[in-house]
Amino acid sequence: MTTIKKFHWFWAWDDDKQENWLREMSKKGWHFTSVDMLSNYIFEQGNPIDYTYRLDYFIDRKDMPAYLQLFQDAGWHYLGEMGGWQYFRKEGLNGEEPEIYSDKESKAKKYQRLMLYLIIFFPIYSIFMRILSQSNTGIMQVLTFFMFFFMLVYVYAMVRLLIRITSLKKKI
Amino acid sequence: MDKNINQYLPLTESTAYILLALKNPLHGYGVMQKVEAMSKNTVKIGSGTLYGAFSTLEKEGLIVKVGEEDRRKIYTLTKKGQDVLKEHILRVEILVKNGAMTKDW
Repeated sequence: MTTIKKFHWFWAWDDDKQENWLREMSKKGWHFTSVDMLSNYIFEQGNPIDYTYRLDYFIDRKDMPAYLQLFQDAGWHYLGEMGGWQYFRKEGLNGEEPEIYSDKESKAKKYQRLMLYLIIFFPIYSIFMRILSQSNTGIMQVLTFFMFFFMLVYVYAMVRLLIRITSLKKKI
Repeated sequence: MDKNINQYLPLTESTAYILLALKNPLHGYGVMQKVEAMSKNTVKIGSGTLYGAFSTLEKEGLIVKVGEEDRRKIYTLTKKGQDVLKEHILRVEILVKNGAMTKDW
């Protein structure tokens, strides 16, 4: 079986873009199998199929079997997990894209769960950075600089997620 | 009216249908199928939405887990759930009466 590895960076709030990208790859006969922490996607070659991909953010280990069972019952094929993101796919019928979230309120909750996770880890991360920045050696200073840069990205991610949640919650 | 009931109203269309479907004990996918049939395909509930609805409704005490079959949790309406649904339906009936005129448009 021919496989290819592709690097592609997606922001957490752009999960629809990632879903579309995976769908386009499948239409060309490249079917997603897994992704690693460094955003390397593995695709397997096969017949072109119009698969709909959906990502959900879910980290409740205890309830994972019941959660996956429900998705499976609803016809979703589970592909695996990457950092709390659960990957599912289903063959689209008559060009219609199946959805895992059928209303905006519940879709907003998916981003709220991710947001909560970021909020919980923020203090831990801050303490870690404070300890690091007290060191004077060269390598530590470089490390601190990178950590600082990462922290900016972290805050930016929280703001973007908040915007996404607010836009979903906006009613007519 | 009971203040406790009022805080859950109005229900979304999906939630109202989920509660209706749970008149008898059902598991998640059973609810999804029943809602689609009852609503004549006007309401489809995604698996993520249903999973979230089950946890929220359980936390609020509107539904209760009555069993488990091969990793499928089975829920049914509680008395509180019945009261909330009943009140919601009364409200919708008033809405429908007021909306009758739209048939002439």
